Amino acid sequence: MRATLRRTLGLAWVLPALVLVGVFVYLPLVQNLGFSTLEWDIYSGSQEFAGLANYAKLAGDPVFWSSLGNNALYAAISIVFQVLGALLLAALIEGVRSQRWQRALRAVYFIPSAISLTVAGLLFYFIYEPNLGPLNHALRAAGLGELAQAWLGQESTAMSAIIAMSQWQGFGYSTLLFAVAIQRIPAEIYGAAAIDGVGPVGRFFRITVPLVREMTGLMAIVTLSGAFQVFNEVMVMTGGGPDNSTQVLGTWLYRSGFVRNDFGYAAAIATVLFVITLGVAVAQLWFTRRRRVEW
Amino acid sequence: MRPRALPTFAALLGTLTLAACSGGGTPQAPAADAAAPPEFSGTLSILTKFAGDPTGPYFENLAAAYQKQHPQVKVELIQETDQSVKDKLKTLTASDALPDIYFTWTGNWADNYIRGGRAADLTKVIGPDTAWGKTFSPGSLAAFARDGKYYGIPLYGNGKFMGYSKSAFAKAGVAVPKTFEELIAACGPLRKAGYEPIAFGNKDGWPALHYLQQLFAYNVPDATLQADFDPATAKLAHPGYVTALNQFKTLVGQCTDTREGTNGVLYSSAQEAFAGGKAAMYYQEILEFDNATSGGKLEPDDFGIFPLPVPANAAGDPAVLEGSPEGYLINARSPRVALAVDFMKFATSLENAKTLSAPPYGQPSTVVGAVTEETSSKAVHEGMQLVNKAPKLAVWLDTVTVPEVADAWLAGGEALVSGGKTAEQVLDSVRRASESAR
Repeated sequence: MRATLRRTLGLAWVLPALVLVGVFVYLPLVQNLGFSTLEWDIYSGSQEFAGLANYAKLAGDPVFWSSLGNNALYAAISIVFQVLGALLLAALIEGVRSQRWQRALRAVYFIPSAISLTVAGLLFYFIYEPNLGPLNHALRAAGLGELAQAWLGQESTAMSAIIAMSQWQGFGYSTLLFAVAIQRIPAEIYGAAAIDGVGPVGRFFRITVPLVREMTGLMAIVTLSGAFQVFNEVMVMTGGGPDNSTQVLGTWLYRSGFVRNDFGYAAAIATVLFVITLGVAVAQLWFTRRRRVEW
Repeated sequence: MRPRALPTFAALLGTLTLAACSGGGTPQAPAADAAAPPEFSGTLSILTKFAGDPTGPYFENLAAAYQKQHPQVKVELIQETDQSVKDKLKTLTASDALPDIYFTWTGNWADNYIRGGRAADLTKVIGPDTAWGKTFSPGSLAAFARDGKYYGIPLYGNGKFMGYSKSAFAKAGVAVPKTFEELIAACGPLRKAGYEPIAFGNKDGWPALHYLQQLFAYNVPDATLQADFDPATAKLAHPGYVTALNQFKTLVGQCTDTREGTNGVLYSSAQEAFAGGKAAMYYQEILEFDNATSGGKLEPDDFGIFPLPVPANAAGDPAVLEGSPEGYLINARSPRVALAVDFMKFATSLENAKTLSAPPYGQPSTVVGAVTEETSSKAVHEGMQLVNKAPKLAVWLDTVTVPEVADAWLAGGEALVSGGKTAEQVLDSVRRASESAR
């Protein structure tokens, strides 16, 4: 009896939070799924059931596929820089003997992460500007004028330029998290390995890498998930152009709804985006349960 | 997700999907009586496109003056920019939360609100035979009319012209070009004289559309062009389209410094290059004229304008000028339609119209007698004279046709600039978008 009462009381305590999460998270999610089956005219308010027509349209939309490809490219490059590169950099920083230098280096690498993506996007827009941007000026000053170009104005370079900016912005944050993970490894393990004659490279691969495996997995999943939710930097730097070459799923969703007035189709893209990020989130939950390392 | 939650999720999904599908649309509001005497109380919400300098204070001052006259009325302003107003309006429309008065372009943009029953029928108060209607130029009123009914309040007129620096032309020894070919030929001497011949920034895509729409009007017969704006009748087969696209490509390649890289340049950077004396020409709207000569190196006396010159042997109408008035609609579902009408009558009184037309605002009012040599800058006055003289205006390409086609033109314009697509490929992509929108 008392246990039942306790359970009921417990439910009562969590009920307000459940209602809030239900109304503001799950309800819109489900509504979006409903909208993706509609032809919705926002002006007249008419909504006609279209079945899976919006999903069929996705299959034949080249911009949808190129957007998905851009997200995948973004994810692949982010994994290399923000996971593997950040781990290497964190190990190097933690290998510096001077505590003062360690702190200074962590701060230097972390500062870009403190800048909002929108501000960083604007900043890099001006860095890349073909006429006035410092990047082209620097290239010309270094005698590499033939490399100077409109970085964000050409299909061939625009997406890479955006991805480069986001790596600069996110790299420091990942490095800091890896540094924290490395600090948790007992110094005795490194000491014993050194006594056994294992060099710095060997210590990195035999001790650091295996013992920060949990963090590496987590960062890979967070980075992957983030790569499919890219929006701000693309909107600020190119708006998805030129000729839709820098569209990602988030911006194509936005453009389909708010520019092309095709809100049902935008909802279908949102559903695909949700399925991808849900898949990554499920992988994250599975990974963090299975790969816990203890010492 | 835990397995136990799945049935609940599925049940919710089914219920909500059915609920969404059975909506069948928002019921139409009863026709509001725009001619009824207004009740001077409550809050009047207005969405403008005047955020930022120099236009921002215009509606703020109007609201303050109106509230002084009617202390029981509170005017709530939502001021957006040219870019952000599009998103704001669509969000408010989708959520059925449009303000009492809201900004609109002409063409397909306004048509959507009229067709959707979201714009109040103002024929009784602003029709051409009414006292208020007679204060506007007839062409500006007609731009917001559909099937004999008048829906919009035109606030200012607009047109697109090539602005040029007279001193740059004199230094380069070139005269104002009379044909498109002369314009291209003038770019060499201007570059030799130390100027970027034409400043151009296409980061947002629409600056290219402005060139294209004027060139389409010159190269494609009007009847064909009008049919091609509507996906139901569009063929997009006239050779004038490819000719116009290639003419634009030539202009970008020969007259701009950044050439195929101009997609990476902001239109405001191009505007500054012209105002700062680095560029000799900049294709701009009348609304930008006073801005071009305020604070930069370009003096008002040094600033001249001419319509984009007509190419030789063009198959379209050489007298058509690109431009259209911009104005406001009144929310048909607003409980304060009569009050909204009263506020807009106040906003378009001759005195306020003159203020709007004068620097620093420089927005040439559509009210007859508001734009004169005394009230407006010389360039704005000249521009409006040319707009009024034009037998027909070509409405902006991104608002005259349906959004899917406009978006295809926008992407195509960018691809043409960067060299990613040929003129034929661009036209083909637009044709496909038009077929899809049918």
